[in-house]
Amino acid sequence: MAGLPTMPTVEAIPIDLGRLLGAIFGIAIIAGLMGLTQMISARTADRRLVQTGYPPRTLLATRLATLGGVTVVVAAVNYGVLWLTISPEAPVLTFVFLVLAGLVYAFLGALVGALLPRLFEGSLVVVFLAMMDAFLSGDSPLAADIPEFVEYFPLYHPKELLQEAMFQGTYTTGNLGFVAGYLLVLLVLVTVVFGMTMRTSGGWSA
Amino acid sequence: MEASTTTTGEATSNKVLVRANEIEKTYGSSFPFTRSVTVLTDADLEIRTGEIVGIVGANGSGKSTLMNILVGVLEQDSGTVERTGTVGWCPQEPLLYDRLTVGETFRLFGSGYGMTAEEIDEAKHRLASKLDFEQYLDYRIDQLSGGNRQKINLSIALMHNPDVLMLDEPYTGFDWETYLTFWDLAEELAADGTAVTMISHLIEEQSRLDRIYEVRDGQVYDVTDQEAETDATASERGEATDE
Repeated sequence: MAGLPTMPTVEAIPIDLGRLLGAIFGIAIIAGLMGLTQMISARTADRRLVQTGYPPRTLLATRLATLGGVTVVVAAVNYGVLWLTISPEAPVLTFVFLVLAGLVYAFLGALVGALLPRLFEGSLVVVFLAMMDAFLSGDSPLAADIPEFVEYFPLYHPKELLQEAMFQGTYTTGNLGFVAGYLLVLLVLVTVVFGMTMRTSGGWSA
Repeated sequence: MEASTTTTGEATSNKVLVRANEIEKTYGSSFPFTRSVTVLTDADLEIRTGEIVGIVGANGSGKSTLMNILVGVLEQDSGTVERTGTVGWCPQEPLLYDRLTVGETFRLFGSGYGMTAEEIDEAKHRLASKLDFEQYLDYRIDQLSGGNRQKINLSIALMHNPDVLMLDEPYTGFDWETYLTFWDLAEELAADGTAVTMISHLIEEQSRLDRIYEVRDGQVYDVTDQEAETDATASERGEATDE
């Protein structure tokens, strides 16, 4: 037997963990694509509106508020599907962390949309990001030797929070702080990039 | 020369409302092996109160680029643009929100212009009556025909009674009656002191224009006199033929 090559051991992930990863990947990809389309679909009309004198920050705030509302709805649907097969230890926390995971990707999608205002290319970026993120952040047995920088991926800490709430009924403030910081940084970046894309050379009002 | 744009005070009679000096614009890309296109080089132009100004030129000559720079939605690479008073812009393609109704569209853009609810309502009914879209006020933009959408596009540019009106082929999709109404409106506005500037392709419109600028080879030429001579010659030919 000593002559046989050694093979990596593939452990089967518990089915509940798989469901959780499916839920978090699902909300990430839907929220990300919604964020992307929110920024791209009315970009030229937004520019005209801002040129009339409408404050770009108000416009962005309404867009992000809409995005937040829709993310909550998508999270509710996702949670409902999850609830059919798993009974979370802390149902409210589980839902809240699912919403947070969605918000992270909604803002990320909005950032991609502001930077790359093309629906097809932007969608590819968001889908690729979400897939890689879910694959690496999700403790997949296929992703052996996960490097440390994966901890900085958008879904890593939301997944940790969700896992804690679902299986232990608790959460770690460090993970929560990380997600809050992530959201804040994304919000600042989206605001800056949106402001730059809406910049016009002089308003119209006298 | 650095690029700069200024917008100042209120318009007074016979005043230059928009002045562009030495405008340069090149469309390029930061990616290697891609082509850059120089559209405007050293373009100058003035627009005064009460004038109907036409901007003409071949396809791809830079008319829309020039208008976008004058309006302020596109930044020039160098040169200066000075604007006085308020501006209304009607882009070539209707830039509106598909899911809003016509009434909501007026409210949104009206709030951008800083108008009160009463002013917005008055402008909405006045323009709807003038351009004949009163029956569509509760329709969503994506439920309107191309011509009606263009009417809303034009109305949004007009609703705040701007000092300068910039129109990029504003009659696209209009029926004949609306087209004539549009010209009546443009002439009324000019008579009231509004500077009306429009990109035009139609030769027969040139007799309606007080001043004609042609965009050619990246520069802007005042061809008003040339066009007048051409019109006179054509008219003489017509008379000779009639005789």
